[in-house]
Amino acid sequence: MLEARSLTKKYGSHLALDNLNLIIKPGEIFALLGQNGAGKTTTINLFLGFIEPTSGSALINGIAVEEHPQEIKKHLAYIPETVTLYPNLTGLENLQYFSSLAGFNYSKQQLSDLLAHAGLQSQSFDQKLAGYSKGMRQKVGIAIAVAKKAKVLLLDEPTSGLDPKASNEFSEIIRSLAAEGTAILMATHDIFRAREVATSIGIMRQGNLVSTISAQDLSANELEQLYLQTV
Amino acid sequence: MPPQLLIARNFRSNALKNTAVYLLILFIGILITYAVITSWSGFVKQNETTAHHQAETRHDWLDNPDKHPHRMAHYGNFAFRPKAPLSIFDSGMESFFGNTIFLEAHKQNSVNFSEAGFSTGMLRFGEISVAMVLQILLPLLLFFIGFTSIAAERENGTLKIILTQGISWKQLITGKIIGLAQIAMGVFIPVMLVTFVLWFFLQDGHITSDETVRLLLVFLSYGIYLLLFCVIAVLVSAASRTSKSALVSLIGLWLMLTIVLPRASQALGSYLYPAPVKVTFLANIEKDVLKEGDSHNPDDIHYKALKDSLLTTYGVDSTSQLPFNYSGFVMAEGEKISARIYNSHFDKLLRVYDDQNSFLKATAFLDPFVAIKNLSMSLAGTDYRTYTDFQKQAEAYRYAMAQKMNELQIKYISNKKPGPNEKPVVIDQKHWEEVPEFEYVQPMVNTVFEHETTSFFALLFWIGLLYFMIEILSKKLKVN
Repeated sequence: MLEARSLTKKYGSHLALDNLNLIIKPGEIFALLGQNGAGKTTTINLFLGFIEPTSGSALINGIAVEEHPQEIKKHLAYIPETVTLYPNLTGLENLQYFSSLAGFNYSKQQLSDLLAHAGLQSQSFDQKLAGYSKGMRQKVGIAIAVAKKAKVLLLDEPTSGLDPKASNEFSEIIRSLAAEGTAILMATHDIFRAREVATSIGIMRQGNLVSTISAQDLSANELEQLYLQTV
Repeated sequence: MPPQLLIARNFRSNALKNTAVYLLILFIGILITYAVITSWSGFVKQNETTAHHQAETRHDWLDNPDKHPHRMAHYGNFAFRPKAPLSIFDSGMESFFGNTIFLEAHKQNSVNFSEAGFSTGMLRFGEISVAMVLQILLPLLLFFIGFTSIAAERENGTLKIILTQGISWKQLITGKIIGLAQIAMGVFIPVMLVTFVLWFFLQDGHITSDETVRLLLVFLSYGIYLLLFCVIAVLVSAASRTSKSALVSLIGLWLMLTIVLPRASQALGSYLYPAPVKVTFLANIEKDVLKEGDSHNPDDIHYKALKDSLLTTYGVDSTSQLPFNYSGFVMAEGEKISARIYNSHFDKLLRVYDDQNSFLKATAFLDPFVAIKNLSMSLAGTDYRTYTDFQKQAEAYRYAMAQKMNELQIKYISNKKPGPNEKPVVIDQKHWEEVPEFEYVQPMVNTVFEHETTSFFALLFWIGLLYFMIEILSKKLKVN
């Protein structure tokens, strides 16, 4: 579970995040929408423990991030906007390395299963990442996140730059992870993808969460209109 | 496997997939091979030449016929300085020192026949030795490999994923340092093995514990030195936003540590503690000797007083009535005075050099290159102090030889001058054996501890400083 309690972040006089209160339960997918600089990535970085809050607290499965920055890493996985990884290693080698860092020593078969589960074609497993498309690298990123068996997943613009087919495949995987009880926070610009995959949507403006709605309550057009009116 | 070792393995294998790294390692390997071959052949050649000439001069000395001992004192002898076994590793200042001194009565000659004096092109551009490659070029290679270690992870976004996997900054930094150190050891260990093999065989099995301790200390100090550069490379990379800025910072640092700071410190040391030029040094000695007394001037106050005192003591009217050879006595006195004055000036000169060197050595706390350079030369026996030790031993030998000849003259040469038809006064050639052969004895390794305390402590200081920096940066570093 993810929880933000009056979470605030200031950079000098600039208020990057203002008093965010949020709970994302297991199985929920919360999509944060907003323009650049609205505070989406700041929120993700606060949950990851990469930056410290000015006030308030971020909690992962009830553990305060600021107090236990290493402990919370066991409970979460993260997929950035662009998964570059190591271009001179194969998909399998990348997955093996990152899952080993997290303390999981999988067999080659288990690693192959994880990549297949993330939607990567088996003929790509032993190819170097330098030859992968962005969508394929994103799938390796998903496999790395899944391999951690984390119950919290943080996604920062995960479908940015993906073609529609790859985006669809990505949405499928995210939904299946939520169905397995993972709490997911996803920052995105993609209104239609957010409505399609998320259970709840929050719209941010200048560091404030100004609107929270259920994804099913609005059509895609209504959501777009609301978004444009809000930001 | 601990995460640090996983990170180290990953870093090492990624770095070694870069062709440029292989080319650089190959280039360094060629340089080291060249350095090993030239220093090995130089060692063999010089020590063979030294041994040959030493035997020849000894033979010539003993082969002299019956002679007046003072003629033998001027016939003189030679002191040869053999190369130390570890000079194959670090030639230090060796090439700029002479290796032979002509030793004669009344005169302290300078050391001649330096390699630099005879060299053609290469030496003018600085000599290539194994130590020079390890001190200067290997750190550059480590910086070249290490600049991307963390900055590149930051640039391509893998840093966030690594840290999300539960890896702490300290584990990441340590892992990268281990990976870079493994690459460094991949070059360093083979180099030291080759050095060991050459060092072993060049001594014909006569390995002393002193030389062994020196070699082990060379291993240890260079291991620490290279590790320091691995740490510096990784920390600068960790603190840089981009690989490019890390590379620029590291190259700047390398220039500062290996070129600018040592030379600036040396120049400043010489400015703060000026040493007299050779002509002034010699003129000052001559002036002081003349002040004490001129043994060749019959009206000289000192020698006149000495003569009067002798004549009174022995109750005689002239020096020819003394029961010993007066000329020999005067020369022994003159030798004593001139040697004392020379040694006093020489010690004063060495104190100036010590002051200059102390200033330079103190900068080792700012620059680990200065620490390893001084320590390495001292351990290899190719530093200035070892050279002056040779000069001192040669001077002590010269003094003993001259005084021995004076003693023989006092004892065996009559005060009466031979007539025009008489044979010249000589002594038996068997006396020449009474002067032992000169053999240079290198100072023991404990003198290195005495003279290089600053360098040892500077290396320890750097270990502590960088450990502290790892601790601090591990807490302060940011992902973006």
